[in-house]
Amino acid sequence: MKAADAWRLSAVPYSEMAFRSILQNSSNMWWGSFGRGSSDASERQDLVTRALRIARFDKLVVAAFVTVAAGAPFLPQILGASYGVSASVTLSLAASFALILLYGVQTLSSFVTSGPSPVLSTLPLLRNDVSLVNLLSFARTSDYLVAGSVACQVIFVSYLTGSALAGVLMLVAGVVNSALAVGVSLWLSNVFYRSILGSKKGKRGGALRFVLLLAWGVVVIGIGVLFAAAGDLIPLVQGVLASPNTLTGSILSLVYPFSLGISVGSIANGFPSLVGKVALVATICYLLVAFAVSRWSMNSVASFSEGAFSGPGAGRVRDTSVSLRSPVAAYAMKDLRASSANLPSAFLFALPTFETFIILLIRAYLPTLGASTLLVAMTLGGMVSLILPLVLVSSEGNGFDFAKTMPMRMGTVVFSKALIATAVFLPAVAVALLESLLKPFGSPFSVLILAASVLAVAAASLLEVRLFLGFAPSGRATFALQEFARMAAGAGVVLLPALVYVAAYIPTVNHPLAAGAMVGVALVELIGVVGLVRRS
Amino acid sequence: MAGVLIEAAGLTKRYGSFDALNGLDLSVASGEIYGLLGPNGAGKTTTLKITAGLIEPSSGSVTVSGFDATKDPIHAKAQIGYVAETPILYESLTPRELLEFEASVRGLVKDSVNRRVRQLAEAFEVESVFDSPIATLSMGTKQKVAIIAALIHQPPVLLLDEPLNSLDAKSNRILKELLSLHVQRGGAVLFSTHIMEIAQRLCSRIGIIFGGRIVAEGDLDQLRARAGEKGATLEEVFMKLTNEASEVENTVRTLRESFFDDEGR
Repeated sequence: MKAADAWRLSAVPYSEMAFRSILQNSSNMWWGSFGRGSSDASERQDLVTRALRIARFDKLVVAAFVTVAAGAPFLPQILGASYGVSASVTLSLAASFALILLYGVQTLSSFVTSGPSPVLSTLPLLRNDVSLVNLLSFARTSDYLVAGSVACQVIFVSYLTGSALAGVLMLVAGVVNSALAVGVSLWLSNVFYRSILGSKKGKRGGALRFVLLLAWGVVVIGIGVLFAAAGDLIPLVQGVLASPNTLTGSILSLVYPFSLGISVGSIANGFPSLVGKVALVATICYLLVAFAVSRWSMNSVASFSEGAFSGPGAGRVRDTSVSLRSPVAAYAMKDLRASSANLPSAFLFALPTFETFIILLIRAYLPTLGASTLLVAMTLGGMVSLILPLVLVSSEGNGFDFAKTMPMRMGTVVFSKALIATAVFLPAVAVALLESLLKPFGSPFSVLILAASVLAVAAASLLEVRLFLGFAPSGRATFALQEFARMAAGAGVVLLPALVYVAAYIPTVNHPLAAGAMVGVALVELIGVVGLVRRS
Repeated sequence: MAGVLIEAAGLTKRYGSFDALNGLDLSVASGEIYGLLGPNGAGKTTTLKITAGLIEPSSGSVTVSGFDATKDPIHAKAQIGYVAETPILYESLTPRELLEFEASVRGLVKDSVNRRVRQLAEAFEVESVFDSPIATLSMGTKQKVAIIAALIHQPPVLLLDEPLNSLDAKSNRILKELLSLHVQRGGAVLFSTHIMEIAQRLCSRIGIIFGGRIVAEGDLDQLRARAGEKGATLEEVFMKLTNEASEVENTVRTLRESFFDDEGR
């Protein structure tokens, strides 16, 4: 088969794979299916149409975003900053690596679990041709992203350094970076789904999954930090790289992606420092690693298309007993189990860790835990918790039809999901209480702020789940607006008690009164929302 | 009719400009296996989904053991075991986790549910995959898990949408025996199929659904009489009642001519 024919043919399995991934990971898409895996043919058709449309345009939108992200670190020099390009190249590579990785993990999940297209194997094609088509459909997962980011990096480096050689080295660095990002995302998906499907009950598998989730969280949060602090990071990194004879500079010349950044930055000057030469050697090593990773990726893709990935061999199970719980607890347990089987949604299990970390960070430099600090930290923590109801509703997927066949009120579903969201918020509260042993509260009544936060998060979670399960979308724009309104409603419920505290404190300067009012409002919110849910 | 467990009256379901159901009436009594027989898109699955409470009708009503499926879905669903045409299950769960979830939500008693699960798991030979994620199971095994899920609470009404499609011969036989036992104990079964032999052998009554309505119903002799085809097979009766006999003949003739033309070339 000619390469051009194989490329053309690969569009079909690629579309199918992207489509399946979008349906599988709708929780992470801005448009979301939000769990309304519907039995109603018209709604299902709407979902499929939307998924197909997104499958076509999602990659284009993400590619544009990756291209902008890859170009953003060069902005200071374009605007006249006088330092070299090493730090910008480093940050640009880090940003494109992380974004390609994020997109890859979402898109490659269905590739890993069921191969690109079983239909291909049934056609009268040679085995090598099938492998080639599958390989190309795999390449299509990130072609725009890689092309956009690498082109942007090459153009900016060539323009800023005026060196064709630097441009060529940037091209090599960009390709190495992309090959590694795609390889890592394939590996991450592969290991995660194998750990789920291969050793579901094993403690080792569970621990491995938790480590992967933490790694995933680091990537997600790392991207946020990278964008939030890019303006401060570039001069900081450039300062380190500008002092090549320091120990830090020497170490960084070996570390990815600094070595690539230093190489590109140094090549225009003919590698004047030893660190530049070491970085070039390291870059060559990374090129070899990228080559090996690419070969592994190709072999993996070939094995997926031949159906090498399969579930566990059936073992002998004699005990078929089942454990029973209350309906709400059973539903919550089902949610935890179902959500942990999907890498992006499984991130929620790592959320308490990050939430606690963020809250601790806010308070790290304060000698006491004043009311205002607690108020800000707990409100922010509460807002973060509100991601969970959305993820939990989304993780229902088509299986929701199974739940719908059971004699169960909507309240059972709503309470179970709100229970998880509130439980995830509790570690942050527990840490605040433990922390108060070291750093005393400004007033003993501050503990009321913690109580009010828990009540508000519970009420907001209930309201959000209720709203997400209760609406029927109509039209894409209306749908997006409705989603926003639902999230805003939850955020409002978390925010209101804090605002009441402020409103009560400013005129009276009475902390116990303000804290009491905050608890009162949060309690009223919770009672009101529980009543609303019970009526459904 | 005494002991009616399923009663649908004037059911309609409209998807845009398409009428999936167009005033469907049917009733299934205790002790009956009622087969819904019809071509693709005739409304079989829609009828079952409305009865199971998965979708709401555009108009009309359906009651299950006297409970309105739309107005009182909680009580109606407690009476039903439903198996979809394509198993709808939480695929990331294992069969054990799925059944735990279902038994808990239905509020079943532990000892009896464990006994029931063990019997059914043995009968359908799914013990070995009891702790494997459903996503990794074959279509037939998924179907077996869906059937067990529909049976663990011993519901009086079973709604089965093409239940025998993916099952192996042994499980096929076991399910048929289970259905017979179910109706002997006073239960009712409403199931859809387009396989005539199954409908002919298994059902006490057959409803021929076409264009979203029951165009004829009864046992085989009643259907023969209705079609005016004495001694005809169910397939012949079906073709006659759905006016598809001449259409099929024309299609076959065209295909035959096309095939011979191709060979002659």
